Amino acid sequence: MDGYAGNMIYADLSAGKISIRPTPPELKKKYIGGRGFGIRLLTDMVDPGIEPLSEENVIIYAAGPLTGTGIPLGSRYEVSTISPLTGTVTSANSGGVFGWKMKKAGFDAVVITGRSKKPVYLFLDNGKAEIRDAAHLWGKTTGQTTDAIMEELGDISVRVSCIGPAGEKLVRFACIINEKARAAGRGGIGAVMGSKNLKAIAARGDRPIQVADEERLSIIKERVRKKIQENGIEKALHDYGTAVLVNIVNENYILPTRNFQSAHFKNAENISGETIAKTILKRPKGCYACIVQCGRVHEFDGETGEGPEYEPDWAFGPDCGIDDLKAITRANNICNEYGLDAISAPATIACLMEMAEKGYVNHPIRFGDVEGMLNLVKQIGDREGIGDELAEGSYRFADKYQHPECSMSVKKQELPAYDPRGLQGHGLAYATSVRGGDHVYAYLVSPEVLGAPEKLDPYMTKGKPQWVKTFQDLTASIDATGMCLFTSFALDAQDYSDLLTATTGIPMDPAELLKIGERIWNLQKLYNIKLGFGREEDTLPARFLTEPLQEGAPTGEVWKRDEMLDEYYAVRGWDVNGTPTEAKLKELGLV
Amino acid sequence: MDHGKITITVKSFATFRDVMDAKIRMDLPSGSTISSLLDELVNRYPGLSDLIFTSPGILRSYVNILKNGRNIYFLDNLETLVEEGDVITLFPPLAGG
Repeated sequence: MDGYAGNMIYADLSAGKISIRPTPPELKKKYIGGRGFGIRLLTDMVDPGIEPLSEENVIIYAAGPLTGTGIPLGSRYEVSTISPLTGTVTSANSGGVFGWKMKKAGFDAVVITGRSKKPVYLFLDNGKAEIRDAAHLWGKTTGQTTDAIMEELGDISVRVSCIGPAGEKLVRFACIINEKARAAGRGGIGAVMGSKNLKAIAARGDRPIQVADEERLSIIKERVRKKIQENGIEKALHDYGTAVLVNIVNENYILPTRNFQSAHFKNAENISGETIAKTILKRPKGCYACIVQCGRVHEFDGETGEGPEYEPDWAFGPDCGIDDLKAITRANNICNEYGLDAISAPATIACLMEMAEKGYVNHPIRFGDVEGMLNLVKQIGDREGIGDELAEGSYRFADKYQHPECSMSVKKQELPAYDPRGLQGHGLAYATSVRGGDHVYAYLVSPEVLGAPEKLDPYMTKGKPQWVKTFQDLTASIDATGMCLFTSFALDAQDYSDLLTATTGIPMDPAELLKIGERIWNLQKLYNIKLGFGREEDTLPARFLTEPLQEGAPTGEVWKRDEMLDEYYAVRGWDVNGTPTEAKLKELGLV
Repeated sequence: MDHGKITITVKSFATFRDVMDAKIRMDLPSGSTISSLLDELVNRYPGLSDLIFTSPGILRSYVNILKNGRNIYFLDNLETLVEEGDVITLFPPLAGG
């Protein structure tokens, strides 16, 4: 009666065996759940230096104690592994309904080891679990897989988290998709699943998710609901979806265009959230217990699907020089069906576009080529033709042709939709992210563009290292709880602490919550250091340090690494190389 | 050129478009500020007032106003001068990721 389901599954795919063990109290106390569970277990179980696509890698699915409790936006689960794209430890977050179903099935986490000799899927069924044959599912898209499993089990209440053909073919940025369109997107975790011949995890159950203090939690739920509903920020998400960001980012002259060669796109309005709302939007959609409903269901030309979110909208759009909203939406649908990271796939295409235009690669694709772009997405997912090379990610591709500087990536993971030359703090977050190019681990766009929780000058570096650390630590702890990160526009650390205390019965306060987040962050960092990642890798592509922006307000700006990195390491309690000191590790209970 | 008058472009986004036009060209007296521009807009589009202000002269939290891509908060806030050819963009509270 603490919000947890109480048990974890250990699935040894080599032996074809499943064991069920109680969720350890110490793990709950020190790591909460979700990303905390995933990172702790992963770094305990996997020796640094293993090949990520070998059977020695481990995948951990983990929900949080707040997942599925009916708390508004308490729907999330995390998947952690060693990334085949970056080589770092990675953890991706997804919403929808699957996380709730996993807990209703009776499980806080699923730890997957080894490799099955033939395609299989896991079925979590009301306190039990089994390994089932998936030969008939291999080759199917994520949508076909989901429908086939539900039909096979004869139960429409089953929910499925699976890979598509891209994961099967070990595309380095293949992802995991649940409910056909929700993604644990970054880091290539889908490829790790594919390397284990694991096609899917299906879950069903009706086990109650019980909390420590039902009455107290009711009161806090109401307070949290009110804060979210009355916060003006969340309304825009409901009305326009995440693509509402297109125009504000573009008007700030930081919308990366044509592989980050510039940062303002003339026809941004054509692909904006406002245009989605008046053209292809059928209705909003939300995850389990969501009162914001930022998801988009679209319909046009007889087709329907979900999305596009801001990131793929930008990546298939301005980053590829494309302003055709329907084409962008179709491309995103292909990513959902194939199970492809819808940031890395288009960003890799954009890299090819620049290289082709400059004559570094002999290929007819150019920026703005809609048909060419759509063909390339499928080629990547099928690993056909040049798609086989692109499937290795933009860095490996560009490096193969002797122009690695064309890959807009950090630690080989493609950068998302904000130009760091106009956002010093967000640029620092990109450079220091423990999973490579990433925008969610520390969303400094919030203060630097949106003005939440307060307005920070995006061109200034002063004070940004502390902000980045705070965001990284808070986000890590939120990812451990099972709450959606979008709650952080309305809620603060006290709210999350109160929710946890009432749910788990273990007293939590903001200081402890942030400490747990810091512990998770340092654990990820320590592991990466053992893999050889150091100060040198905490940087951005040379373009951002040496080529100033040329348009609008941020004209002349570059990203100022030297003004922030040392201070960031200092506020983190790390040495000048970015290694956590003994004192910091003791403080966090990591020695 | 009329030295007593300037011409600017004002763009609105998201929920602001429910109460005002998405893009307008406006003539203002030379020496106008963002504050006087907003007064003029509120006169023209009465529904805008509650969306922009919590009380007279106080912008709502998370409303962002840009002058040529620069947030006025980092210029002179509501006293920022509006000049010939400026593009002023108005954003309601927004979130995303």
